[in-house]
Amino acid sequence: MVAETWSKQVQTGSLNFDDQGVDLKRRRGRALEQFEQHGFPGRKHEEWRYTPLSRLAAGPCAPLLERSQEIAFCPDLPVDMLAKVVIVNGEFRADLSDLSRLPSAIRVQSLAQLRHSDPDQLASLLDLYWTQDSHPFYDLSDALLDDGVHIEVVEEGAKIDAPIHILHVLDGQARSGSAHVTGLIQLAAGAQLQLIEEIRSAGEVLGNLRWGIGLDPRSILKRVRAFRPECSSIFHGTRVIQQQDSRFEDLFCSSGAELIRNELHVSHEGTGCHCDLMGAYAGCGKDHLDHHTTIDHKVEDCTSNEIYRGVLSGQARGVFSGMIHVHQDAQRTDAKQSNDTILLSEGAEADTRPRLEIYADDVKCTHGATIGELDEDAIFYLRSRGVSPDEARKILVRAFTSEVFHGLEDRQLSDFIADEIQQSINPDGTNHE
Amino acid sequence: MSGKKENSMLEIHGLCASVEGTEILRGIDLEVKAGEVHAIMGPNGSGKSTLANVLAGREEYLVDAGTVQYNGIDLLELSADERACEGIFLAFQYPVSIPGISNAYFLRSALNAIRRYRDESEIDAVDFLELVRSRMDLVGMDEKLLHRAVNDGFSGGEKKRNEILQMAVLDPNLAILDETDSGLDIDALRIVAEGVNKLRKKERAIIVVTHYQRLLDYIVPDHVHVLSEGKIVRSGDKSLALELEKEGYSWIQADDARAGNNA
Repeated sequence: MVAETWSKQVQTGSLNFDDQGVDLKRRRGRALEQFEQHGFPGRKHEEWRYTPLSRLAAGPCAPLLERSQEIAFCPDLPVDMLAKVVIVNGEFRADLSDLSRLPSAIRVQSLAQLRHSDPDQLASLLDLYWTQDSHPFYDLSDALLDDGVHIEVVEEGAKIDAPIHILHVLDGQARSGSAHVTGLIQLAAGAQLQLIEEIRSAGEVLGNLRWGIGLDPRSILKRVRAFRPECSSIFHGTRVIQQQDSRFEDLFCSSGAELIRNELHVSHEGTGCHCDLMGAYAGCGKDHLDHHTTIDHKVEDCTSNEIYRGVLSGQARGVFSGMIHVHQDAQRTDAKQSNDTILLSEGAEADTRPRLEIYADDVKCTHGATIGELDEDAIFYLRSRGVSPDEARKILVRAFTSEVFHGLEDRQLSDFIADEIQQSINPDGTNHE
Repeated sequence: MSGKKENSMLEIHGLCASVEGTEILRGIDLEVKAGEVHAIMGPNGSGKSTLANVLAGREEYLVDAGTVQYNGIDLLELSADERACEGIFLAFQYPVSIPGISNAYFLRSALNAIRRYRDESEIDAVDFLELVRSRMDLVGMDEKLLHRAVNDGFSGGEKKRNEILQMAVLDPNLAILDETDSGLDIDALRIVAEGVNKLRKKERAIIVVTHYQRLLDYIVPDHVHVLSEGKIVRSGDKSLALELEKEGYSWIQADDARAGNNA
């Protein structure tokens, strides 16, 4: 089923684009068709069982006003950035971005630019990551494909030391609506890059963000995703294709959102790959934080480490569905996965589903999930030292999520994000009003 | 408050307490003045640790009767954290480990909570480190323990030393050491005791809860009390501890039985 408003909006929006490339036109057409046919899947659909898409289906579908004036809804992240890419309501804003210090090894351009200059290259990149097998958000992204960012480290072995900051601003204060952003990243062999993606939202919005990431042999991409406090509804999807000996480190952080659906699919295509998928999140009120990750270990000698930790209060709900797929040829895979949740209130709920599918015989895979409460002995220990019960709980929440931040070398940034998560916690478990 | 004797820091009268419906303390009377060190001794199950935990404000222990005055205020009205802010410190028999939080972060959070309570400004990271370093020397602790998670993977000796470090940094008026000697070999015991001795001062009272006399060889008490079945059955000076060491607890219990359990 697809709500009529959505259908109309997507159709009008989609038909507005006059694509130059045949392939791009084909993708757009197919996406529109699929979305028309399937819309947002209902609860009966296994992959979407726990996600309250009805909230979205009834939500804002009109495009957000492109020219939002205000982007400072929250304090800036404390990072020395090499470059800044600002995307406001789906539009790459050259006037707000700063690419002046980029070395020649790296190219950054808006997706709209690529769409005009080389629609065929764009279509083939999209084909690489998204096969168009009917997915509501990827279909929306394709049907309404407009802007985003294209980042390429073109020089082999280039080590980009400082991070690139990608700031998504979703401003629905003047008018609620949705924005669809596609990001593409390609790292040449041996290249190294750090990304800090920040998502800010205000008002009622639906942000539909997706990334296609290609890592050539021996390249390293480190990404932090910071969902700033009080986010509206965000779909965030990432497809990563890793070649031999490449490394992908991802850190997802959210201090609460009406709805986040975080989809992450990592595919190890070459031997010796490694990925770290880390996540720390806090939810309160009626927040819904939903994680779906898949790691495809396709070839031998690859490793992965995944830790997602959530703290839920009020009537917040956390969902984790993590698939580790070890293909037949993927001997000597070493995969670890865990999802741990702390519930601070009776009304909070966690659904966790770690999944392993192993078709090789010489592998090391561990997975586990725990759902529990804060340690009362530790609370008393802190209180006996003068710390109030609320602060004691906040400190223990920080302790609980700390392991997730170990890989983030920038202590200032990791402390800032950990603080933000800690502060969003309502320690007695009740709702924020 | 008119009947209060001068410089008496802690006054316990007729204190009865229970845990999960089981009566453990059955009328404790105890008075502690600033500058004094009191040892509470007694066999297992006599209520020593319960007394320590009741004073620290652990909520599982229910006070059924009696009063506790601390510097003229009703201690039983205060929560555990308020008591700590008022200057009471409990060194735990089993210090809790908290993976994910460094010792330094833990201590600084505690110190700042207390300073806020007292309307003092919070201490910054630099001053804090300076303070902690000076105190670490007192207990002979390695600085790298500061950056490890609280008690996580610490040896028995390191945990107890960490308790004394916390005491040294938080600077309490009344320190209660609950079986600080348990699980320590003789070298570790000496180091911990020396740390405590360096923290003795005339403004501070210390209550040492212990099963064995040997700790009292190092921390020499002014008063020794023997607890049995929830009551103080004997009080004396440090010679009482030596007597106990020689005779064991059985004679106390026998005495107590003969006395016919009268309160």
